Amino acid sequence: MRVETCSFCSSPVYPGHGMNFVRNDCKVFRFCRGKCHKAFKKKRNPRKVKWTKAYRRSHGKELTNDASLEFEKKRNNPVKYDRETWQKTVHAIRRIEEIKTKRHNHFIMNRLKVGKKVETEADIREVKQNINLIKSPAAGLLQKRQEEELVEVLPEDDQEMENVE
Amino acid sequence: MSLYNFKKITVVPTSKEFIDITLSKTQRKTPTVVHKNYHISRIRSFYNRKVKFTQQNYHDRLSTILTEFPKLEDVHPFYADLMNVLYDKDHYKLALGQINTAKHLIDNVGRDYTRLMKYGDSLYRCKMLKRAALGRMCTIMKRQKQTLEYLEEVRQHMSRLPSIDPNTRTLLISGFPNVGKSSFINKLTRAEVEVQPYAFTTKSLFVGHMDYRYLRWQVIDTPGILDHPLEDRNTIEMLSITALAHLRAAVVYVMDVSEQCGESMESQISLFNNIKPLFLNKPLFIMANKTDIVSKEELSEENRKIFENFENEGISVFWTSTVTGEGIMELRQAACDKLLLDRVEAKMRGKKVTGVLNRLRVATPIQRDEKVRPPCIPEAVLKKRAAMATTANASLSDIGSMTMETDERKKTERELELEMDDEYVLDLQKWWDLKNPDEKHDTLPEVWEGHNISDYIDPGIFKRLEDLEKEEGLREEAGYYEDERESDDEEMKEIRQMAAKIREKKALRLQESHLRRKVKKPKLPGIVANKKKTPGEMVDKLGELGIDLSEQRQAHFRSRSKTRQILGKRKRSMSMDVGESRSRVRSQSRSRNESGVRDVAMQQKARKLEKISQRKMIRFGKAGESDRHIPTERPKHLNTGKRGVGKTQRR
Repeated sequence: MRVETCSFCSSPVYPGHGMNFVRNDCKVFRFCRGKCHKAFKKKRNPRKVKWTKAYRRSHGKELTNDASLEFEKKRNNPVKYDRETWQKTVHAIRRIEEIKTKRHNHFIMNRLKVGKKVETEADIREVKQNINLIKSPAAGLLQKRQEEELVEVLPEDDQEMENVE
Repeated sequence: MSLYNFKKITVVPTSKEFIDITLSKTQRKTPTVVHKNYHISRIRSFYNRKVKFTQQNYHDRLSTILTEFPKLEDVHPFYADLMNVLYDKDHYKLALGQINTAKHLIDNVGRDYTRLMKYGDSLYRCKMLKRAALGRMCTIMKRQKQTLEYLEEVRQHMSRLPSIDPNTRTLLISGFPNVGKSSFINKLTRAEVEVQPYAFTTKSLFVGHMDYRYLRWQVIDTPGILDHPLEDRNTIEMLSITALAHLRAAVVYVMDVSEQCGESMESQISLFNNIKPLFLNKPLFIMANKTDIVSKEELSEENRKIFENFENEGISVFWTSTVTGEGIMELRQAACDKLLLDRVEAKMRGKKVTGVLNRLRVATPIQRDEKVRPPCIPEAVLKKRAAMATTANASLSDIGSMTMETDERKKTERELELEMDDEYVLDLQKWWDLKNPDEKHDTLPEVWEGHNISDYIDPGIFKRLEDLEKEEGLREEAGYYEDERESDDEEMKEIRQMAAKIREKKALRLQESHLRRKVKKPKLPGIVANKKKTPGEMVDKLGELGIDLSEQRQAHFRSRSKTRQILGKRKRSMSMDVGESRSRVRSQSRSRNESGVRDVAMQQKARKLEKISQRKMIRFGKAGESDRHIPTERPKHLNTGKRGVGKTQRR
């Protein structure tokens, strides 16, 4: 029993799901659901269909060249069963997956940082250009004038004090 | 190739049918209507057409017969001779010749009468001419009755002839009647030839096919031949003689050692000597059949001497019995091998060989060192061979000590299953060859969290995992995974908030403008429209923008209409009290929706009517009462399409 990958969207195909198609040159195509099967029949290129893994990998949205990805690969040389090896491998898989997800998340974070910078710049520009929509230049003018009057008054007081002294 | 055409010859109709078919065809395929008052040339061409059509038809059909029947000169001599034996060459040729002459005669008739038609000056005359022409043609055909019947019989018989390829590998079986030739062919091939105790059961040639050494072989069973001179032979015997004469095959001469066929050994020998000239250049084998009745040892001295003579002459003798099957396979092997050798030699002598030889090359590997590399035979096979040899030796002296073999054979799963009955479980994992045999019956995990475990199994996985862990450690130390997210300082936060507010404001403005532009309502005059904007609104709006207007200077923002109203009311009350007429500051102006309206009920009704009248304009997006613009004069969805049921009289 094997969990295959869909030849259109690269999602896992569990046993009892999906459809297989065998072409005349003996190449087998597995599909996880009718959506992928129909898209294939329409001759769509998965590298151009946004939601597939093929697109994401070819457009650099996901981690591609990494040592942690080389562990899970279909190998054609069978290895004789050895209980110890299998047990150790099962534990190893867990660790490998941890590292893989960590690296993957880090990759995505890095990718999204660029967006943050662009956002801050856009905000600053927006505020500079269109501040007049929320704050008129006359705002606070009255207060300012009042303050100025107060300030004028105070030094006068000082002068009086000085005169007195 | 004339081989297969025998089955594809078209049916030869009887003369009556022939005539009927052609005449009815003429009737159907040519125009039928003609009148006296037509122009004479038209009448002539009408009747000419009929004559020509009939002539053409006869000509075509007779030509097909002539071409489809094989010419005896063109086919393989075997078939030519065969047909001669069966149908008599002269008769056949005569028949075809007569058909040919008939064809020519019909052509002549047709030609003559088309010429004569020129002199027909009335419809009646032309009609009689055409009648004469067709009549003559049909009489010619009537005279061919016998010929056509004969040809039809020949055709039927020919199509049932067995398809013998004269050029491939063939085994020919001949001998006296009832010696066992048909039983032999039944044993060798899948042909089911009739086997009966009376002589001349087989009356014609039969072909069977068998496979030997990945090649197809023909085995031909012939009817029995009796011992008398060639001239006295009947048709059936002639068939075998023809086959013997023309086919390049290996000949198996069958003899009956038990003399059950009714002929003694001497007569069989004498027949053999008589037909010996036919066996020239052919590999010959003697098959001493029916050894189950009279075995080799029980034979008399003289007979045995006969066979020894054969051996001395170089003809191999095989002692067989078609009933028990002994000796048949050896005979087949020897005959086929010899024939193959002969054929190869003949080909080597021929001209085509050099062409093939040029393309053939036998490559042998060059010895590169002194090491001897014999073929690899596993030990088990060698042991078995030794065992077979010893048992073979043992069986010669003591038949019955075969117990050793049965013990060495393994017990099959089926036997186990039958033994254990209900408890049996098919466990293929018990055959596994593992380092630690008690791990054989482990249940293997296959999938974990959507990943196939077998994809990870690799001899070098642990080393690679170690490297990976090291790398991870290095990365963590270098601070690769630390979150460098700079948290915004106060200023940035404020800027972001303001930017958000600005965007919101922009969106609202856009929405408002869309609403305004979407439906062009009838515009109310400016005074009334502006009345809807109150100073309170303005204060709010400016407050949003940050300007604080909560002081006395508001006094200037009051609208004029309000003051006027107050004035107007004061004026009226004053005038009612005093009764003086005062000069008006401005003429009393009331808004249109209040002028002429007595009370609240009337006001409400007036408002209602106003709304009703505006409804159509608003719904159809009209700019005003006079806007009669129609954006699409004939919308497609209203003016096309069929009704499911009913009439499309109005749209």
